[in-house]
Amino acid sequence: MHTLPEERSLAALQSSIGAALLAADASGQGLPEALFAGVLPGAEGLSVHRNTVLGALSHALRLSYPTVDRLVGEAFFDRMAVEYSRAHPPVAPQLTVWGAAFSEFIDGFAGTDNLPFLAEVARFDAQFDALGRCAADEGFHGAKVELELDGGSGVSLSFNAHLRVHRSRFDVRALRDAINAEDAAAIDALNYRGAGKDSEAGSLGVEHSYALWRTAAGVMVRELSPVSAQFVRAVLRNETFEHIEANNVAVLQREVLAAGFVRISDTATAAGMA
Amino acid sequence: MTTAFASDPIPARAGIGLRLPHQAQVLAKQPAAAWFEIHPENYMADEAALEELERIRSHYPLSLHAVGLSLGSAQGVDNAHVDRLARLVKVLGPGLVSDHLSWSVTNGQYLPDLLPLPYTEEALAVVGRNVSQVQERLGRQLLVENPSTYLRYAAGKYSEAQFMAALVDRTGCGVLLDINNLFVSACNQRVEPGQVLEAWCQALDPASVGEMHLAGHAIVATSSGAELRIDDHGDYVCAGVWSLYERAVGHFGVLPTLLEWDTRLPEFAVLQGEAAQAQMILNAAEVEAASQRQVGTTVAAARASHAHFA
Repeated sequence: MHTLPEERSLAALQSSIGAALLAADASGQGLPEALFAGVLPGAEGLSVHRNTVLGALSHALRLSYPTVDRLVGEAFFDRMAVEYSRAHPPVAPQLTVWGAAFSEFIDGFAGTDNLPFLAEVARFDAQFDALGRCAADEGFHGAKVELELDGGSGVSLSFNAHLRVHRSRFDVRALRDAINAEDAAAIDALNYRGAGKDSEAGSLGVEHSYALWRTAAGVMVRELSPVSAQFVRAVLRNETFEHIEANNVAVLQREVLAAGFVRISDTATAAGMA
Repeated sequence: MTTAFASDPIPARAGIGLRLPHQAQVLAKQPAAAWFEIHPENYMADEAALEELERIRSHYPLSLHAVGLSLGSAQGVDNAHVDRLARLVKVLGPGLVSDHLSWSVTNGQYLPDLLPLPYTEEALAVVGRNVSQVQERLGRQLLVENPSTYLRYAAGKYSEAQFMAALVDRTGCGVLLDINNLFVSACNQRVEPGQVLEAWCQALDPASVGEMHLAGHAIVATSSGAELRIDDHGDYVCAGVWSLYERAVGHFGVLPTLLEWDTRLPEFAVLQGEAAQAQMILNAAEVEAASQRQVGTTVAAARASHAHFA
C-alpha cells in the first residue's frame, strides 16, 4: 500500500493512481480506501481501470504485431504485451506509433526458447505496420537515379517513396507466410527451431534481404539477391552510379527494374535494355 | 493531406461512430448515415487512414471526438497533441470537436483510459485552464463529455452535473451528454439513473448541451460478487438507456446524437439500425415540439381573437 497522505493534491493523486495502475505486484496496486467514497471499494474500481489500460495497450501491440500474436497465441502475447507496457508505457495517445521497442523486448523472452526467430518476425511485422500507415505512393516520388549500363545505354529510374530494405538472418517472409497460414509443418521445414537466438547468418545459410514498399493495393514485399539489395540500399542512400557491371545487369533487370517499386521513366531506353 | 474542408454543421440527427474496419466499406458504398464521428488520435500517425477519411468527409458531415487531450491532467495539456488536433480540425472542417471530463496523462505517461476526477475546486481550476487553452488554440468551442465511472472519490464538493455546469460557466465550453455513461455511472453508484438525469437537467442550461451519445455496455460481477457495469461499447443500447435518452431529448431538445460501438464491432448495418432507433426518438420529439408550438400559436391566436372581440 502507498503511504502518501490521504489529503493530496490533484497532481499527487494522479501520480499515485498512475503508478498503481501500472504496478506489477499486488503491493504496489493498492491505494488507501479512505480516498474513495463509492458504493464499491476503490480497489475494484481501480481494477477496472487497470484492465482497460493494459487491455488497450495489448490491443495496440496486437494490431502492430499480428504475426507474433498468431505465432505465440493470445494469452502468451498478452503476457509479453503487459510486461512491455509496464516497462515502456506510451508517452502520447497515438498508440499506432507506440511499441517500437517491442521486438527487442521479446527477444529471448522467457518461454520462447524454441522460437529463436520471434524477434525477427516482430521486426518484419513492424515494417508492414509502418508502411501500412503511409499514404500509397503511385507517383514514384522517392529516389531518382540515372544509370549507364554496359552497352552504353542510359536509363532513368524513379523509386517508390516508401521503399525500404529489410535484412534478417531468417527467411522472415517464409516464416510470416507459414505463420499466417497456420502451417506448422512449413515452419518446421525451415529448420530454425534449434538455431538459437544468437545464431549468425552464416550458420543459418544466407542473410535474407527484402524490398518493402507501399502501393494502393497495400504493402508489397519482394526478396532481393545480395547484388540487388546492395544496389537498392545505395539508391536509398542517394549514392550515384556511373556504371553497372555487365554480370550484375541481368540480376538488376530481373529483380529491380522489373519490380513494382521502380518506374523506368525513359521507356525507349528501357525497351533497348530488355 | 491535400484538401481543407469548410466546417459543416452537424445536423440534429442520429449519426454513427466511424471505426477503421468500416472505413473502406463506407468509402466504397457511401451508405446512409446523417453524419460520422471519429477519434482523431487514430488518424494522427496514419496517413493512409487519413487519406480515406478525407474522401469520406467529402460526402458526410464529420465530428472529431478526441480521447487523448487529458483535460483533467494536473500537469496540463500537451501542446504538441493539441497542435496535432488543430491540424486535423483545419483539414477536416468538423462540425463538432469534443473530449472527456477525465484525465489520462501523469508523470509524462499516457494511460489509455478515461480516468475520473475528484470534483474539487482544484480540479475545476485545472480542467478550466486546460479547456480554455485547447479552445484558444483550436479557435472554437469544445464539447466536454461526462465519462463512465467505476469509483468515486471522498474529496469533492460538486456533483458531476454541478461540476460540468461550473466548467461551462468558467470556459464557455459545451456539453456532450453521454446517456450511456450517465446510466453506467449511476448504476455503479447504486443510484437510480432517472434521478441522476434529473440532477443534470437542473444543473445545466439546455443551450449548453451540443450533442448526446448512446452506446451499449457490459454487466459483470466484481471479485466480491457485486454487479458492475462496464462501458465497453460492445453491445446494443439497452432498454434503460433508450428510456433515459427519450427523457433527455424531452428536456434538452433534439440534438445531434451519436451511436458508438467499439468492441466486438458488428456489421455496419447493425450500427445503422441502432442509429435509426435513435432517429425515431428524435423524430417523435420533433413532432411533439412542433405540436407544442402549434398549440402555443393557437392559444396565442385565440387570445388575440378574444382580445379583438372583447
